[in-house]
Amino acid sequence: MNAPRLSKQVISLVLVAPLLLFLVVFFAFPLVTMMKSAVSDPVAARALPATARAVAGWDRVSPPTEAMKTAFVADIRQINDDQLFGDLVRRLNSAKSGFRTLMTKTRAAASNAAGTIDLIALDKRWADPSYWQAVSVAASSSITDRNLLAAVDLQRDASGAITALAADASANKTIMLRTFVMALTVTVACVLIGLPFAMIAASLDGWKRQLLLGAVLLPLWTSLLVRTAAWFILLQDTGLINSALMQLGLTSGPVPLIFNRTGVIIAMTHVLLPFMVLPIFSVLIGIPKNLMPAAASLGAHPVRAFWAVLLPLSLRGVVSGSLLVFMSALGYYITPALIGGAKDQMISSVIAYYATGAANWGMAGALGLVLLSATLILYAVYLRLSSEREARA
Amino acid sequence: MSNPFIRLEEVSKSFGLLTVVEGLNLEIGKGEFISLLGPSGSGKTTILMMLAGFENPTSGAIWAGGKRIDSLPPHRRNMGVVFQNYALFPHMTVSENVAFPLKMRGLPRALIKERVEKALDMVQLGSLAERRPSQLSGGQQQRVALARALIFEPEVVLMDEPLGALDKQLREQMQLDIRDLHRRLELTIVFVTHDQSEALTMSDRIAIFNRGKIEQIGKPSDIYDHPSTQFVAEFIGETNLVRGCVQTIEGGTARVQLPGGQVVFVAAATDLRPNGSVCLSIRPERIKVGRREAAGNNITAAIFDVVYHGDHLRLLARSDGQGLVVKTDRSQPTLSIGEEVQLSFLPSDCWVVRP
Amino acid sequence: MNVLRFSKLVFGSATVFFLIAPLIAILPLAFTDSVFLNYPIPGYSTRWFEELFTAGVWQRSIINSLIIGCGTTVLATVLGTVGALGLRDRQLSLALATIKTIFLLPMVVPAVVLGVGMQLMFARYGLTNTYLGVIIAHTVVAVPFVVVNVLAVLQGIDRRLEQAAASLGAAPVTVLKQVTLPLALPGIVSGAVFAFATSLDEVVLTLFVAGPNQRTLARQMFSTIRENISPAIAAAAFVFIVGTVLIAVVLNFSRGTKQANG
Repeated sequence: MNAPRLSKQVISLVLVAPLLLFLVVFFAFPLVTMMKSAVSDPVAARALPATARAVAGWDRVSPPTEAMKTAFVADIRQINDDQLFGDLVRRLNSAKSGFRTLMTKTRAAASNAAGTIDLIALDKRWADPSYWQAVSVAASSSITDRNLLAAVDLQRDASGAITALAADASANKTIMLRTFVMALTVTVACVLIGLPFAMIAASLDGWKRQLLLGAVLLPLWTSLLVRTAAWFILLQDTGLINSALMQLGLTSGPVPLIFNRTGVIIAMTHVLLPFMVLPIFSVLIGIPKNLMPAAASLGAHPVRAFWAVLLPLSLRGVVSGSLLVFMSALGYYITPALIGGAKDQMISSVIAYYATGAANWGMAGALGLVLLSATLILYAVYLRLSSEREARA
Repeated sequence: MSNPFIRLEEVSKSFGLLTVVEGLNLEIGKGEFISLLGPSGSGKTTILMMLAGFENPTSGAIWAGGKRIDSLPPHRRNMGVVFQNYALFPHMTVSENVAFPLKMRGLPRALIKERVEKALDMVQLGSLAERRPSQLSGGQQQRVALARALIFEPEVVLMDEPLGALDKQLREQMQLDIRDLHRRLELTIVFVTHDQSEALTMSDRIAIFNRGKIEQIGKPSDIYDHPSTQFVAEFIGETNLVRGCVQTIEGGTARVQLPGGQVVFVAAATDLRPNGSVCLSIRPERIKVGRREAAGNNITAAIFDVVYHGDHLRLLARSDGQGLVVKTDRSQPTLSIGEEVQLSFLPSDCWVVRP
Repeated sequence: MNVLRFSKLVFGSATVFFLIAPLIAILPLAFTDSVFLNYPIPGYSTRWFEELFTAGVWQRSIINSLIIGCGTTVLATVLGTVGALGLRDRQLSLALATIKTIFLLPMVVPAVVLGVGMQLMFARYGLTNTYLGVIIAHTVVAVPFVVVNVLAVLQGIDRRLEQAAASLGAAPVTVLKQVTLPLALPGIVSGAVFAFATSLDEVVLTLFVAGPNQRTLARQMFSTIRENISPAIAAAAFVFIVGTVLIAVVLNFSRGTKQANG
């Protein structure tokens, strides 16, 4: 007899099905593809099948065996596809530099002469077990944690233990730290401006409140690109701000505002400020108007009343707003890319560089995974907080 | 009922673990005006929703006009529903609202126009046909809702607290209007309300609901004069509940001793047994101040408050530790607080109620 | 108290200035006759608007933006509205509540991360460098706005209106067509506007998924700022800002009249 209720649920599921399917295929699947690219490493295993079998019994310390060398040369001879060879070289070179010349030399020798080739005579690097380790690691598995480790500046050493990367070898930690600091700076700036602003807006009514809210909403509705372009134009050395400063005689030459941290922080604060103001404002207008007079009637000085009543109540809006701003700031790309200098690029820019510039999908995927996880964790906290508030309301 | 038009048979409805209606049996005759009365959460609105088809019973069967309807979707039940908030379509004009059911039934346009005009004239809204619902007053919206629910000549009209949002004066006017429509059009009306005076004024029969069950069903006067349970006695009108112990029963009249030792006689006490405890309902307006031998029951009480109500006085008294309310007219000689008085009432005014 | 009021006034005005001034400051530059984006403006002309609407790359990018924007609007509005209809119950089952979270997730996931994934996946199925691919990518990020807007309106609709329609003889599909959708129209319209605006403004996914033939206005602005800034940017920004204000006014107005009508 529960049929009607069940059918209501079924109707709902039928209605959400098209969009769900669409998002699974074009939203979830791309993200999964990206994550897979972070851990997938199929090139060497595909290019060097015989070597993979030959290194299976090797202890990774002793000198390379003859079987390994023979298998390796056979595999090299098998590769007809220049693309595959190029990918292989890139893969091996990323594990140990020197492979680029070594592989080119070896392939030339292997294709010029038939029969066995003395690899060590060809290049004495082939006697070094560390090159064979790189080959062995790459060939024996098509999944890898190399990119994930590299994303946080770690690597596996010869014995397979995880160690820190040399300080000059990678800068990912620096970039993550920078991303974190910049996002935090923007969040703090947004709180410092947004909290008082929201309080002022909530304390006003009529056209004054409309004006303040409109000032928040207009930028929110305006294209991000337009806002960034506006700041680009204003912040240039010959821009309005610098010419105003020079006219006023406050500075003799242009103050560098663009292609540096200051410019990025200013522009990002402008872009993200509405996400701080609106949650605080919506909490504040939910507070009964007579609360402050009530506190005053109980003998609290206005300043006391503010600290003891209004501020704690608005804190929840501040937390929601901060999470929103911080979360959005972490993944920012356009503003730092256009207004920042080389030293102001955040993690998104690095991901974009790996993906479009270096075609290193493994690293792009691994850093993407880091950013995605950070964002989703923050979002989960945000959802948790807002559902708690709903439950309480 | 020999030939009921609507029949509910062992109908139950639960939402999850919560049972809202439990094993309900109810028969409604053609042309009857029945009110479902009860506090909120008593299940009366759920029954209306099940009659209309917005909810399906968890178990049991509903019949209308000889057909079983409980699995029929709402749009095939041919029942007019008037909602508490009127539920007028805000994006349509008054005449579009009223024309809606006829359009759904595929009537020719000219006929629709004619009948809409007639229906709006019936509720005196002909001049407002092209207005939007939001431009009407509450009472006008209510009349549009009525016209819309009646225009397709439904077999049954279901009303869910339709007058709840109106002010007192308008509500009383609408009560008369609806009663008049009921009589003129010979409608079958199921009327849900929590307002007992509304139910008493309008209905042929009242079903009193409590916790998903019918507590008592009958004519308004039966229910008022002869409430079967304590709940009904208290829910309909005002009453004094007096506890006592049955001593003897002679010729249908019981002698009941109150806790303080005073004795009252109770008529029509057929199913009482000696030495049983009993709960009596005595309506405040049935109690008179002053000793009357002819009345049969005379008890002593102390007045502790006199409240002026314009058309009557209410005396709050205490007798043998039990509080009593007495409604009396203003011609009563002045009574002062603390005074001892005699209260009299007939044995037939004492009505035994089940707890 | 006066000090407080004064500081409120100063702080409020300063922040309003900070929020609005950059957008206003860029407007006059659209009419400069110089090739530099500087104040003072030496002379006024409409040459950059002419450039915007006649120069090959700009014209092409405007047309692309319109094609992709319209495609995204239609796809996102249809998918989002139907999806929202399935989520309108206030008490959602766990499965539906999870689905609702999934529907809103594209708003949260960083665009670059999504872009990398889309480029990898779209390349595999031949969707990169196609209009369809860009429309799909834009729809993914635009659809949450439609869901949010339509859902807000749907949840405001009194269920009794639909019950009334059913009791008056309307079959479920008729109820949807005659009552639910007309009442949800304001939400659907604002959802569609948001979807179009999202598509118009989208840069990052476009960078990853689109080819040179699908270069949109936003993408063109991005590379113009990056490579060779010209006042055409100010002209494009002018069009954007005026368009935004117009849309805001229209939406506000339609909401206002809606309220007057109930």
